[in-house]
Amino acid sequence: MNPKLERILPRVQKPARYTGGEYHAVVKDKAQVNLRFAFCFPDTYEIGMSNLGMRILYGIMNEMEGVWCERVFAPWIDMEEEMRKADIPLYGLESGDPITHFDFVGFSLGYEMAYTNLLNMLDLAHIPVLAAERGEEFPIVVAGGTCAFNGEPLADFVDIFSLGEGEEVTVEMLELYRKGRALGWSKQEYLRQAAQIPGLYVPSLYDVTYHEDGTVASITPREGAPAQVTKRIVQNLDKAYYPTRTIIPSTEIVHDRVMLEVFRGCIRGCRFCQAGYTYRPVRTKSVETLVEQGIRSAQDSGYEEITLSSLSTSDYRPLNDLCDGLLDYCEPRSISLNLPSLRADNFSMELMERIQRVRKSGLTFAPEAGTQRLRDAINKDVTEEDVLNTARKAFSGGYSTVKLYFMLGLPTETDEDVLGIADLAYKVYQTWREVTPNRSRGVKITVSTSFFVPKPHTPFQWEQQISMEEYQRRVKLLREHMRNRSIVYNWHDADMSYMEAVLARGDRRLGKVIYDAWKKGAHFDSWDECYDYDRWMETFRDCGIDPDFYTSRPRARDELLPWAMISDGVREDFLWKEREACYRSVVSPNCRKQCTGCGANCLLEKGRKCDE
Amino acid sequence: MSDQRLLFRKEGRAIYISHLDLMRTFQRAFLRAGISIRHVGKFNPHPFISVAVPLSLGFSSQCELLDFGLEGGCTLEEVPARLNPALPEGLTILGAYEASRPTKEIGKLIWRLELLYDSGVPQGAEEQLTALFSRPALVMQKKSKKAKSGFTTVDLIPLMGAYRMERSEEALTLTIALAGQNPGLNPTLLGEAIGQECPGLKPDFLRACRVDILDQSGERFEGAQRDALTAGLAGTE
Repeated sequence: MNPKLERILPRVQKPARYTGGEYHAVVKDKAQVNLRFAFCFPDTYEIGMSNLGMRILYGIMNEMEGVWCERVFAPWIDMEEEMRKADIPLYGLESGDPITHFDFVGFSLGYEMAYTNLLNMLDLAHIPVLAAERGEEFPIVVAGGTCAFNGEPLADFVDIFSLGEGEEVTVEMLELYRKGRALGWSKQEYLRQAAQIPGLYVPSLYDVTYHEDGTVASITPREGAPAQVTKRIVQNLDKAYYPTRTIIPSTEIVHDRVMLEVFRGCIRGCRFCQAGYTYRPVRTKSVETLVEQGIRSAQDSGYEEITLSSLSTSDYRPLNDLCDGLLDYCEPRSISLNLPSLRADNFSMELMERIQRVRKSGLTFAPEAGTQRLRDAINKDVTEEDVLNTARKAFSGGYSTVKLYFMLGLPTETDEDVLGIADLAYKVYQTWREVTPNRSRGVKITVSTSFFVPKPHTPFQWEQQISMEEYQRRVKLLREHMRNRSIVYNWHDADMSYMEAVLARGDRRLGKVIYDAWKKGAHFDSWDECYDYDRWMETFRDCGIDPDFYTSRPRARDELLPWAMISDGVREDFLWKEREACYRSVVSPNCRKQCTGCGANCLLEKGRKCDE
Repeated sequence: MSDQRLLFRKEGRAIYISHLDLMRTFQRAFLRAGISIRHVGKFNPHPFISVAVPLSLGFSSQCELLDFGLEGGCTLEEVPARLNPALPEGLTILGAYEASRPTKEIGKLIWRLELLYDSGVPQGAEEQLTALFSRPALVMQKKSKKAKSGFTTVDLIPLMGAYRMERSEEALTLTIALAGQNPGLNPTLLGEAIGQECPGLKPDFLRACRVDILDQSGERFEGAQRDALTAGLAGTE
């Protein structure tokens, strides 16, 4: 171990996050390696290690001959301070080597508030943060994840964005790099060639101009780069790589259990949900594959908990068969099975009873809006009936905690909709009083509201975000109508969701703001203890940029959106049609009832169908 | 009386695994290795694992003891070979045996403490330390969760046993017996005492490794069993 590191580790919180050496961490012989990849997660170890995408790509890259992919996480503030003081550059956990001169540095970007951590990690690695200042000796900086669907605010820092699922394109990207190295390409030449690979977006090859009013006037590709880059998907999930043999941390992480991904995409089409659009089309895994992968994962990890993960697990058609298959293995071994993200409309109490025989945890539902009208408007296909029926079953079965999630500030929301949340919560409480077998035990109903953030590639990408003052007024209104002691109301702070909204639909001009805010000390912006709203606002003022331009300004149908060169396969006119339907409070059928023709099925190979 | 016992080393990157995380790591490793162990607890059954005299974060050890109840999956002799591939780097099982006495009979632990001096070991360090350790009493303040003030005092001298010293360019290596439990003496506190009483000898860093275990009468705790297990192992110190 690095002697400098040995000196500082005893002084920092949870040092096991910074050492590597976990079970199944891949350590390769450097003599056999000719391509080194630093897989960076711009948040702490506990959060990053819970990310399934990282585990998949880590496995795939390390299966490649001569490639060594290592993990790098953002050091927590105490560790960062010690590293800077001791002049220890950011290093890969597997080798302990500084990543300064690796071939690639790749970031997984799941949320906008991690952007400053991307800059900070490059800086900690002694890599120039600005792409234009990185010479041939520095790594190619690539970024993927949901935020890559509008990476424009990071265009100054990132060389390549990888759109969609990385299983195949990552391999192609690395192989092209080797080819380029053999042929003596410059970095610029490599980037030009990489832009020809479907799914790779190279922002430096696009010129963006602006109208006087600040909107985008033109996006012009150069040097043969395509006018539009479409995301990549895995065609057959049954045949795709799945990390059954994966790193088991020696210290606790957020999702410390087997994560079994049952399908990708979502049939529902909730209009606010970015994942619901960008992960289309729906592709499922077979029960046989899943049972086999679940058992192998449990055996190889020693975990005693398996979570079935997807955007909406109760929409997996053979869910009962899958649970049967897994329970045959799990029950005799006291391994528990978890089903998060259930829907109130097709929730099966019998199934819940079966899988949760040991411990009755709480139930969580996300009606998202308080009235049927607004739920129709956002296409959240859940009725009050559904919620109350499920609550009735749960309470009579002995459950005594329920969590309800909502958003405030959804398009078309009125005070009536806001008060509908209090009303629904109270009805859930009354249901409990009616059916509970044991009233003396009490009930806890937790209502949480978040501040709606319009996201790119959704029908609400043209919408304005309500102002923070208006959000706070609605929170206050709701608070005043939550009058029952059994109902606890939590709400998100407005100022972080406001910044998220700025970055989510931002353009390239925000690069300067992000850079300056980071220079002033912004990092770990998704953490309350680090986030500083005033610092961001001051930076906007200094840069002469009005953040409201990105949040509270409605976009016209014909506005050229900053992310227009990126396609997730869903047609823009489909999104607009969905937006119009919202204003008429008209629901669209889910993909299983009837295809609404979003266009994402065109990503499938000939002969394949959605949701099969 | 507990059942079976593992002798293992904790070194390298594994020294930063906390006691709680270590227990979890072993529980999972047993499962990965297909070894079933005894569970305890009626309402929330969990595997029984007990590590004697928890090691502080950042210190290594060549002689950690873990008690468990073997229920099946393999024989006791097979446990190390099965478990080792299932453990993270830095944890190595040296052997498994039937426990012959309870770990509460552990007395002092032998430590190898490396006092590191970046600008060289100070002149006369050995003499000063010998004088310090020969004092009739050496009272230190120690953090306490129980005491109202948050501090309690402890006399180190009765908690220390035989020692010897070796000097190299940048390190003074002190091999010393320190009380293991009820109460134990943590090497960190000894390091602080040295820094406080002999300011010139305050080390720039203290590296600590547990090398042996004694019982309350000063005999090696289960010495014969442990020697038998480690006799055939190459590279064992």
